[in-house]
Amino acid sequence: MSRPRGFLVLGRAVAVPVSRVPVTVGLVLIVLVLAACVATLSLGRLGIPLADLPGALSGGASGKAAFVLERLRGPRLVVGLGAGAALGLSGALFQTVTRNPLGSPDVIGLAGGAGAGAAAVALLLPGVVPVPLGALAGALLAIALVYVSTGTGFRNPGRLIVAGIGVSAIAVAFIQYVVYAVERDKATVLTAYVNGSLSARSWEHAATIGIVLLVVAPLAAAIAGRLGLAEMGDETAAMLGAEPGRTRTAAVGLSIVLSAGAVAVAGPIAFIALTAPQIARRLTRGTGPHLTLAALAGALLLVLADLAAQQLPLPGSLPVGIYTLALGGLYLGYLLVREWKKGTL
Amino acid sequence: MTVNVVRTAPGGAGAPRARASRLVWFLIAALAVLALSMLASITFGSLPTSVGDAVDVLRGTADANTASVVQSRYPRTALGLLAGLALAVAGTIMQGVTRNPLADPGLLGITAGASAGVVSATAFLGVSGQWNTVWWALPGALLAGVLVHVIGSAGSGAGLVRLVLAGAVVSAVLTAYVQAVTLGLPKVFDSYRYWVVGALGGRDFDVLLSVLPTAGLGLVMALLLAPSLNTLALGDESASALGARPGVTRALGLVAATLLSAAATAAVGPIAFVGLAVPHIVRAVAGADMRAQIVFSAVLGPALLLLADVVGRVVLRPQELMVGVVTAFIGAPALLVAVRRMKGGT
Repeated sequence: MSRPRGFLVLGRAVAVPVSRVPVTVGLVLIVLVLAACVATLSLGRLGIPLADLPGALSGGASGKAAFVLERLRGPRLVVGLGAGAALGLSGALFQTVTRNPLGSPDVIGLAGGAGAGAAAVALLLPGVVPVPLGALAGALLAIALVYVSTGTGFRNPGRLIVAGIGVSAIAVAFIQYVVYAVERDKATVLTAYVNGSLSARSWEHAATIGIVLLVVAPLAAAIAGRLGLAEMGDETAAMLGAEPGRTRTAAVGLSIVLSAGAVAVAGPIAFIALTAPQIARRLTRGTGPHLTLAALAGALLLVLADLAAQQLPLPGSLPVGIYTLALGGLYLGYLLVREWKKGTL
Repeated sequence: MTVNVVRTAPGGAGAPRARASRLVWFLIAALAVLALSMLASITFGSLPTSVGDAVDVLRGTADANTASVVQSRYPRTALGLLAGLALAVAGTIMQGVTRNPLADPGLLGITAGASAGVVSATAFLGVSGQWNTVWWALPGALLAGVLVHVIGSAGSGAGLVRLVLAGAVVSAVLTAYVQAVTLGLPKVFDSYRYWVVGALGGRDFDVLLSVLPTAGLGLVMALLLAPSLNTLALGDESASALGARPGVTRALGLVAATLLSAAATAAVGPIAFVGLAVPHIVRAVAGADMRAQIVFSAVLGPALLLLADVVGRVVLRPQELMVGVVTAFIGAPALLVAVRRMKGGT
């Protein structure tokens, strides 16, 4: 793999090696994310017209525009950006560690646990405990169960995934039973939640995911280098001093915190954590984890999916998770067809 | 070839003859377990009857009232027999073919396909009732299976990774469709949520008959393929050297698994873990020979499913817990315990 490498020259003594491709891709992704944000705010019946947008954003919003920006679409957009970035980053960390292109914390029971937690709260304590809190508790409980049953913590990816399948199965069976047992209206709400939804978000949600990102992103950056080494295989990594076991535990831990944050603010949204790192990887044709790009790709995917959820003329308002599921599936299919044509894989 | 297979079998230290007689004893024990679970299945239910009653009914010496109660449990027992057999054999073949201990029918898009069929029929054609939906679940499952095979094995290579990815793709898109339709149409959602749990009760013999040809075809294919599946275990190169065609065997094996699991899912809804767990038990009992594995799956699969169904009838009496929920709650902890015994690495 030859990557065009350049150097960022700072003064006479410092020349930082910078790969040109990732930087370009990053800039393109940022532009796309911004475009998607603008579209989210201005499209549709209640959208703020493009001409008024700069004024509205700089504090001059009033009346309808203020309502749309501050209550209706603003928080939703920010939560989408934050949750998408968190999921993308989470998936990148997890896939690098498990060397499994289909990996994400959902595989080890996070999404299932979150759904089961939400279902339990909806069934047993309706109105007492907020559903997102139940989801968060369920997600963490599921992960804890996986952690305990592997016997080796997060160090052994194989065991992790098998245990995750077991815990997920219990969770899914529980959700299905609850959906079966409660009356229809509740079941519908629960099903929508279990798919992951961004409707009716508030600034508290946005702040929550923002804090999670602010805390975790620097830590992720700190272990990014060693992660790249861990990708080379345990022995090589150990020889290079990367402590594969510890790096793995740290990466999985961070990945879980990020996904749990996203679950708390938006429910278990499918496929973002899975596809975003793949997109980042393919765009750069590189091998490293590309954490930043995966986060950007995640934010872009979720905002686009939510744009579709808000604007597509479909009956009923479907939760964004259904769109990410469909989009993610189609994207995977596209990858398959492309690689089939190229004759790789 | 045979020598090799015996040598790779776990615990295969004894001479082939000793192994064979041990297998026969195991098989007799397994059949006894199956017979007991069938008896339990016609004995237990929301209306209490005793084992003696059930035996009396079987011998034709019971009073009419008891007889009708016990006989009402026949279709459900027969369905459990068929679905358990189909799921377990499908799982065994899939795990043998993919050499992936986690392979199960959901992986091939079967579950999602059957769901999509059921949901489309109820939403757009006004079909209702358990035994009408089966006619839509079956083609849905088969179509999804075909789609997965076409996407997954077309072009060069036809690797297993591709197949799994294709399964994920088809499942994702179909699941999104199912969720969208069910959330958009409350009436459809109402019947779907009862179907998707997976249950043996509330269906009659017609349901069984409608999936029987598909399941039968799958089982026959599985039995015919068993010897060739054995050569796969030697690795592709050795198998080719011995004149086997690993690619063809694998493809046919997956077709058989698809037919079997499509039939089961169409008849009783998605049921987790039977296809995943039974092959593990079977390998421990029957060793590496695929012929023995398939026979044992066909016996132990129904036994497990029927016992799970009996548990579901007893724990919440007079209500019932659907068998799909029970299998998950029994199978998953077993899997968690098994995880600790996994060897390192992936």
